[in-house]
Amino acid sequence: MPSSPPKSRKPWFKVRGSLPSSRVTLLMGASFLLPLAVWSFFAYTPGLWPVSFELRIATDLRGQVANPAAPEEPHVFQTIYRPGRDVMEKEVFQAYQKMVRHKNEEIRAYLAGTSLLPSEIRLSARSNKKVLRRLHPIAVEMAWMTEEQDTADERFYALWRDLATGEKRLPNRFLSQENLEIVQANWEVLSAASPTYQSSLFPKEPLLHLVPSGKKAIGRPSYLPAPHEVFLAAQQLIEGTSAREDSSLFTRYQTSLAIVFGGFLIACLVGIPIGLLAGTFAFFSKLFEPFVDFFRYMPAPAFGTLLVFLLGSHEAPKMTLVFLGTVPQMILMVANTTRTLDASLLDAAQTLGAGRGSLIFRVVIPGILDRLYNDLRILLGWAWTWLVIAELLGVKSGLTEIIDTQGRRFNFDIVYAVILLIGFTGFFTDQILQALRCVFFPWVGEKQNWIGKAVARIRQWFLSKPATKGEKVVRKQAA
Amino acid sequence: MKRNHSATQWLRNVAASAVVFGASLAQAEPLKIAYSDWPGWTPWSIAIEKGWLEGIEVEFEWMDYVGSLDAFAAGNLDGCHMTNGDALVIGVDQPSICILINDYSNGNDMFIAAPGFDDVPSLKGKKVGLEEGFVTHLLVLQALEDNGMTEEDITIVNTPTDQTPQVLKTGAVEAVAAWQPSSGTALREVPGSKVVFSSAEAPGLIYDCLFVTPESLKEHRETWMKLIGVWYKIVEYMKDEDNLDEALEILAKRVSVTPEEYEPFLDGTYILTLEEALPIWKEAEGFGSIYGSSKISDDFNVKYGVYEAPMDYKAFIDPSLIAEFAAE
Repeated sequence: MPSSPPKSRKPWFKVRGSLPSSRVTLLMGASFLLPLAVWSFFAYTPGLWPVSFELRIATDLRGQVANPAAPEEPHVFQTIYRPGRDVMEKEVFQAYQKMVRHKNEEIRAYLAGTSLLPSEIRLSARSNKKVLRRLHPIAVEMAWMTEEQDTADERFYALWRDLATGEKRLPNRFLSQENLEIVQANWEVLSAASPTYQSSLFPKEPLLHLVPSGKKAIGRPSYLPAPHEVFLAAQQLIEGTSAREDSSLFTRYQTSLAIVFGGFLIACLVGIPIGLLAGTFAFFSKLFEPFVDFFRYMPAPAFGTLLVFLLGSHEAPKMTLVFLGTVPQMILMVANTTRTLDASLLDAAQTLGAGRGSLIFRVVIPGILDRLYNDLRILLGWAWTWLVIAELLGVKSGLTEIIDTQGRRFNFDIVYAVILLIGFTGFFTDQILQALRCVFFPWVGEKQNWIGKAVARIRQWFLSKPATKGEKVVRKQAA
Repeated sequence: MKRNHSATQWLRNVAASAVVFGASLAQAEPLKIAYSDWPGWTPWSIAIEKGWLEGIEVEFEWMDYVGSLDAFAAGNLDGCHMTNGDALVIGVDQPSICILINDYSNGNDMFIAAPGFDDVPSLKGKKVGLEEGFVTHLLVLQALEDNGMTEEDITIVNTPTDQTPQVLKTGAVEAVAAWQPSSGTALREVPGSKVVFSSAEAPGLIYDCLFVTPESLKEHRETWMKLIGVWYKIVEYMKDEDNLDEALEILAKRVSVTPEEYEPFLDGTYILTLEEALPIWKEAEGFGSIYGSSKISDDFNVKYGVYEAPMDYKAFIDPSLIAEFAAE
């Protein structure tokens, strides 16, 4: 065995020098880890974002609280916040608590008969039931209830009883002394109506509301979910357990793939023949290429509205958009590739008496097939870039609908999960096609990528496997 | 000559069979109806989920509101859920007929100002993001008029309604106009933002209805009647509090919010029972009647140049189906 030079002497930075494959693999891993590291840095570094609270107990109450720091900008709470999702800055969170305390005072005053009921508080069993349900996230965290039991009023009734009587206890971080007192005060009202849950006996007089509570969290902006949150969202999407996304990821994925590959296929059917003709005959080149060259500068999405008018609002305009975005590039690329074919091959063929038809089918196409394959691989990547715009046309569909709707609700963990899925699909398709190029066109002598190597290794393993007895018999017979 | 003759004959046959085939296709094709994320229309998803539409030749398409109006104007739909004011705007391209009043907007259409702006007058000279020429535009004009202002006092930035939360958050505008669930998202994502005007202050300004093409009403009246029946089944189901949790789960998922977030939408969109809807179908002036409300929208649209000449708004309303349904 020839002794190899010690590893340390191989330079990492050599101008135009190639690197050994182990280092290539290492760097490839690093090229993915680097952005992940940057993302993690911004997501997890505590000092970067203000100290905030992730809600554990939210409220159905809405209202506003004076802001001592900026009297002209009071804290306004006019929407429903989601426990486990919404993160509030400390100051806002405290104002949120203050708002609820204030409303509770008003309720107490009403119950004592000293004032009228605030207009937004209703005398209904429904709103009282919802007060009880606000303990659901904690009950889930304690494994007392499942995620799905968020409307199981009977269980909530029992839970409030157990907490009020001390049968069940919660650590202070889950249920503060203040909230425990509210639980007890409400239980007095509830138990007076009925010791066990009965929908018809549920009191209508207003219950006190639990004061919002939360756990400390990094106040990341909503567009920056942490990597683990995105991972979790992806997992839930794949399993179909996401509480925020109803649709099946798999079906949507299929729809999107159909749009990309459908549009690309039509582009191939039109683009390749025209490209071949234009690359072979000056006649077609001059007839087609100037217009195509002009057409490709018109952005395909500009035709979106027109396509919906012409083709309806389902798959047809979407595939057509992918087609329109891909085909001009395809014609020009295929024509150029065809022109790179060695002219002497054409001369030789014509000398040998080849007609126009056999010239194309027996000389041009075989001659450029490997480069054509490569062109199509690149163009497929091009087709992917139109997907999102295409799927927004008419009835939104596929993965884009998830990206679009969830983005509008600021659920960026889901958005990123889906974007990553698209990215990985494109990347792996491309890598696989590149690997297959070495299989289809071994004479090209292109360096195999990691997938190609894996394929080659598997093939080698199969080939080197000793033949079984049965195979030997078959071979003998054949001989 | 003979050969030629037979060729024309053949062509004729082909054409004839194509027409027959096309016609049979057209007949088998279900009626296409668009609905969008307005809380007065999302309830159709209950019927879809529960299979109440089985046996009725309809297909519901979930779309963006303005996208659905475009598709309707392009002739891709047989029915479209619109506000009575927008139906007039779209009527320039595609006349339509209201056969069902789903609800009136009672607060879910909102004019939301960024922190620091307390009321409509404080927005003088500021930028407002809204969808030009459509329902939120009408709402803002009403808000301005109520405060003694005109459109000249603000700068309108044409913004798709479902992108208003993002636009308000970036600070590119000082206010937006949107409906739920987008308005709720804006209020949550921009801490300190508040509602300076909402449809609750002008109930009856905006009626939300199912509009259908005159052709499909003529040809498929029976199907539309059946659909009205399904709608009131939905309404009955939703008004029963015992069903509320189940209903909320379906509705909230359809628009990607939580049931807790969705429940307040039910107040901001007053879904009308048949009994409550009947008086609205009567011709009268003012917000209490669909005719009066449409007249007001029509005047607004002409006044602010959304279109030039007044529309025959009465032609957009056909109370005969509801009358027939109520009589059953």
